Amino acid sequence: MLIQQEMDLKEKLAILSDAARYDAACTSSGVERKGKPGQLGSTAFAGICHSFAADGRCISLLKILYTNQCVYDCRYCVNRRSNDVPRAAFTPDEICRLTMEFYRRNYIEGLFLSSGVLESPDRTMELMHRTVWKLRYECGFNGYIHVKAIPGADPVLIGQTGLLADRMSVNLELPTAEGLKSLAPSKDRARILGPMRQIQTGIAAMERGIVPRGEPLKGAVYPWRRQFVPAGQSTQMIVGATPENDYQMLTVAEALYRNYDLKRVFYSAFVRVNDDSLLPALPGGPPLLREHRLYQADWLLRFYGFTAGELLSESHPDFNIFLDPKCDWALRHLEMFPVEAQTADYGTLLRVPGIGVRSAKRIVAARRAGRLDFAALKRMGVVLKRAVYFLTCGGRMMYPVPMDQDFIAAQLLGEERRRAWDIGQKDSYRQLSMFDDGFLNPVPTAEDRVSAALGQM
Amino acid sequence: MMTIFTCTDSFEGILCGVHDAWMSRLGHENVSLALEDTGNLRMFAEYRRAEESPGKAEKVMEAIRRKAGREACERVYRASLSCEEQKADRIYRFLVCAFRVGPEIVNMLQIPAVYELFRMNRSVENEARSLIEFVRFARTDSGILFGVVGPRCDVIALMAPHFSERLNAENWIIYDEKRRKAVIHRAGGGWLTARLPDDSFRRKLADSGDQQEFESLWKIFHEHTAIPERKNPRCQMTHLPLRFRPYMTEFKGERR
Repeated sequence: MLIQQEMDLKEKLAILSDAARYDAACTSSGVERKGKPGQLGSTAFAGICHSFAADGRCISLLKILYTNQCVYDCRYCVNRRSNDVPRAAFTPDEICRLTMEFYRRNYIEGLFLSSGVLESPDRTMELMHRTVWKLRYECGFNGYIHVKAIPGADPVLIGQTGLLADRMSVNLELPTAEGLKSLAPSKDRARILGPMRQIQTGIAAMERGIVPRGEPLKGAVYPWRRQFVPAGQSTQMIVGATPENDYQMLTVAEALYRNYDLKRVFYSAFVRVNDDSLLPALPGGPPLLREHRLYQADWLLRFYGFTAGELLSESHPDFNIFLDPKCDWALRHLEMFPVEAQTADYGTLLRVPGIGVRSAKRIVAARRAGRLDFAALKRMGVVLKRAVYFLTCGGRMMYPVPMDQDFIAAQLLGEERRRAWDIGQKDSYRQLSMFDDGFLNPVPTAEDRVSAALGQM
Repeated sequence: MMTIFTCTDSFEGILCGVHDAWMSRLGHENVSLALEDTGNLRMFAEYRRAEESPGKAEKVMEAIRRKAGREACERVYRASLSCEEQKADRIYRFLVCAFRVGPEIVNMLQIPAVYELFRMNRSVENEARSLIEFVRFARTDSGILFGVVGPRCDVIALMAPHFSERLNAENWIIYDEKRRKAVIHRAGGGWLTARLPDDSFRRKLADSGDQQEFESLWKIFHEHTAIPERKNPRCQMTHLPLRFRPYMTEFKGERR
């Protein structure tokens, strides 16, 4: 039963931001757009975060649902039909006013608009289109807009919305079709991939200079030529709600990057908001460490030239809890190390644990002009704690290190284990023990060993 | 004996210091630069005040542009905004290398003098970027957007281009509380920086009628968008250090 009552904007905002918060895809990156005279806003290619919430996640966009009423009954979702929660819906004017006034005060970088399915996908998509159109053309908003494409909505509606938005996304939610079938029986994979393909072809056509045309919607006029989803599309997968392993998740992500030209795949550690027998019980809280490892691997796919098959395999399907994916890979490929910092090419440097995109670029730029040493590498941002085991500089390692898997693993573990502990077991109570406290007692570093051997304590 | 040239804490002042120290012909190892009225005096050193004149600063600037390139110019400018006391001397040491090597110098981080300048640059840039993210405007009854910041480095001039692009159709002021400096932008026009004698002008800027409403709406959003099961104050603190929070709407009234 729907109880009708007048709600003020504050109550609506509380309900509809509560309902939207489980969507991880909240970045404002991918498109650089200058301000236009008389309009409000611009966008930055790298995106801008404006605040950080109590969970430590960045707040970049005004992330809200149009409505949290929904005809579906997905088991993992807080807004499912069978949940008894207060329901609300914004009007297009309310969303425009919030966005404009927040943006002007530099609270946000733009709007992230998603929605529960109200009556039908078409109806919902039309309301979202109307909102975004109003924001662009009546309010003169030139900032970032991210809109969800509702699976099952008419392609014309999705196409027209794409002309107004900077980024669109369709959530895959669960990496396999079986997972989707068990937890979201009314959604199916083909209906999710359909709009994803449509957006991909639209973007590709745009890059060749063809503006995708469809029937212009009634009353919607586009005063100037716009780009179609210029910041690309993204998607989200829930981690840990279904029994897929990391290898499956990562191959799905890789396939999405390769076949659908996605800009980002987001991973969202499953939060058990509904008490449902088909959902896993998570006594230790959401699988945050697993999510963290997947993001690390995702970065390796996009910026470091790794493939999913290099990081994981059928026989080794999950990430190491104690080592980050790059260290883990390096330890299994010691035959490729150590690498010489003075001569190794950019791609090889990127594969060294402790060297990132920026430090690799700085090394390449600096060594053109002169010789490097380990102190210089450290200044360029190389994390020597990890890199010393895999790097030579001028033909020598920083310390004499045996190229032995077990030895290096033990050295790396001391540091990494404490960080993993912080992510996975935060705030949990643990009895202090004097003798066996792997997480608090640092393993002696190579430096300690050398100084102990030389008697320089 | 060391001769120490003192200069005012400004870009032009430091460039004049560089000019005088260089032209004194005492040798690079015998001269050093310091900001006026900072730190302690050194024994066995002679102090000379660098005379400030636009001509000298212009000459040094031109020399840097010609011999070390645009990038070096920009880095020297940003380093001059840093909050570090030794910045003048560090800029001098950098220029000694830069004039010898040429434009390639900016990449040679293995040289300590170059690294020091790079480090100051990075911290200035980082603070400017953080404040572009975190500055909060309040709408006043005359329609002006007014934002207050309290940065360590003198970064408001670096923030201005971003906002003059973005809030082009608005009148806005960013006020640096610590230095009593402000960037002022007129709707549809350009921006300028101004030094203000005191902050009595702030009393004239009353909030507009809807300012309170949007402040509380923003607080509601900020609170509700966090996932309680993932609460992580330490992660929040790394990304959003406490020193920025007194100026931010969403943390106002929060106990520290």
